[in-house]
Amino acid sequence: MTISTPLTTLLGITHPILSAPMDVIAGARLTQAVSAAGGFGILGGGYGDKAWLEQETVKLRSASVPFGIGFITWSLAKRPELLDIALTVRPRAIMLSFGDPKPFASKIKSAGARLICQVQDEGMARQALDAGADMLVAQGSEAGGHGASRTTIDIVPAIVDLAAGKVPVAAAGGIGDGRGLAAMIMLGASGVLLGTRFYASLECEGADEAKKRICAATSGSSVRSIIFDLSRNNVWPAPFNGRCLINDHARRWIGREVELMQNVSAVAAEYAAARAAGNFDIAAVIAGEAVGLIHDVPPAAEIVERIVTEADQILGGRRNSSAAARA
Amino acid sequence: MWPDRRLLDLFKTEFPIVQSPMAGAMDHELVIAAAQGGALGSLPCAMIPVEKAREQFNIIRQRISAPINMNFSCQKVVEADPARMAEWKLRLAPFYRELGLDPAAPVAVTDRAPFNAAMCELVEEVKPEVVSFHYGLPDQALVKRVKAAGAIVMSSATIVREAIWLEQNGADVIIAQGAEAGGHRGMFLTEDIAAQPGTFALVPQVVDAVKVPVIAAGGIADGRGIAAAFALGAAGVQIGTAYLRCPESKIIAPARQALAQASDDSTVITNVMTGRPARGVANRMMREAGPVSVDAPDFPHAATSLGPLKAAAEKLGRVDFTNLWAGQGLRMGREMPAAELTRALAGAALARLRALTG
Repeated sequence: MTISTPLTTLLGITHPILSAPMDVIAGARLTQAVSAAGGFGILGGGYGDKAWLEQETVKLRSASVPFGIGFITWSLAKRPELLDIALTVRPRAIMLSFGDPKPFASKIKSAGARLICQVQDEGMARQALDAGADMLVAQGSEAGGHGASRTTIDIVPAIVDLAAGKVPVAAAGGIGDGRGLAAMIMLGASGVLLGTRFYASLECEGADEAKKRICAATSGSSVRSIIFDLSRNNVWPAPFNGRCLINDHARRWIGREVELMQNVSAVAAEYAAARAAGNFDIAAVIAGEAVGLIHDVPPAAEIVERIVTEADQILGGRRNSSAAARA
Repeated sequence: MWPDRRLLDLFKTEFPIVQSPMAGAMDHELVIAAAQGGALGSLPCAMIPVEKAREQFNIIRQRISAPINMNFSCQKVVEADPARMAEWKLRLAPFYRELGLDPAAPVAVTDRAPFNAAMCELVEEVKPEVVSFHYGLPDQALVKRVKAAGAIVMSSATIVREAIWLEQNGADVIIAQGAEAGGHRGMFLTEDIAAQPGTFALVPQVVDAVKVPVIAAGGIADGRGIAAAFALGAAGVQIGTAYLRCPESKIIAPARQALAQASDDSTVITNVMTGRPARGVANRMMREAGPVSVDAPDFPHAATSLGPLKAAAEKLGRVDFTNLWAGQGLRMGREMPAAELTRALAGAALARLRALTG
């Protein structure tokens, strides 16, 4: 069974399910597994660790399935040569998030790759469309990791309306199962991008302890803040902050950000040590509000299959949801 | 066809849409109009005396034969702390002086009593088909009496733990209220505003955790949102903000104007208006004293010292101190009669469901 949308047509894939380019933990293994299952895996180029990117892209060189590579735009701007490394393995798409995509657009498109831009408001969507984006990801504040304040139910239809007749839109933020995919199609999206759900997959490179915590977490156990960025001396531009599971470190510092900044060197040392030791009472488990829907760590292919089966049941086995645009 | 008919069978309404009870922003007129359109009309009784609630309920009963929901709040009563009240008043003193008011003058206490025996007697007397509560549920004895009077009992959950508690304590229907919702958060087992999930993350998690029907609330204001809520497993939706700009709502003209002009991101969660976290369009009070302040007196005492400021500013046509409760779906609100709006929402949702399901 398949759910065809303008997004599946654009990317040449079977199912409108994308895995988020989670920095360093969405490696070649997860990317390939999602794509092999008929979805679209996106490698987590993140901030741009050159050695890691080279190592993972080499593994994708011989991939027989389409895949994408994602970057944090403002970070890529500091090391633009990383885009060349990414493009050498002929990704079907490059996904850019958080920053102006324009400086990279022509290089990406002339290399034959599609440009996917993740946006959090209408202004960013217009900027992405002006830059020539082939597809948008409308990200709600429910999403794990970096994002902004408007929620999925608010931002998805707003971006769908803005992009109507131009490019397909995928929804991101708080989606963990087939009900979420069906709901986002109801809102007018052409597909979904999932991070947390694929974090808790066998092929994700995240720590087992982090995956365990995602499975155990329930609703109301994640929060958007700047404290984890402050704690690793990682300054993000406004309006972005990051959603992580609430742990001892979050309980200790949220609401005391100024004090944290005053003691940043001591906190950063403690934080770096905790990260190295895999101590997630202090180190962040970057996850979104879908955690309450996630209770196991299956292979990525099984996740894709479950989502498609469930969404297909809700949508009544309809084969083509492009009627969404007309409804 | 609605994918889930449980609420239609339970409420016996035409549509699985609950018009949200919005205390201070509406009265029986909006209930009647929404019900005439096919929704479950909800009369907010949290801020009016029993006599007033009886009068409004009886007007509704005379005018329509549709089922009616009476809404009450059941917060734990916290006595005002005189020291904190005095400090807060001091903080507000410049506003008082600016409006030519005496900060030292005595102020009428805000009337926001939780559900009590007298209100329960009213329920037993008038027999609404549905009674909904905010902030959990009242004492078991009162819940039993409400049920014995024949009412279906509903309440709101902002996290899964609250939903499970509500089901265990007698709720027949649970409203999953996401962070997008306007007005007061229904939270009662948590105070963590920052961790309140968005509606679409919360709804499927609540649906998985309880057996009773779940109503999605927060940010839903058009046919797409309603259709999406059903895809997530909701049996219905509760809609408030979309009705605010209907001619039947009772918000004052400048508030109506502020809502019409608000942009996408103009709502924030604040506690300085009443002492409890609520979402609304940012006004001067929220900007200058909040939006969140640890110094705000406990609910509902923070609202007491705002009373004179609100009245004086409103006389000047200003909403600097007026609650402009609204959710994130604010921009989708339309100026149209509530019955027509209800039918338009249901029609759009049904069209969407028809187009996208087999």
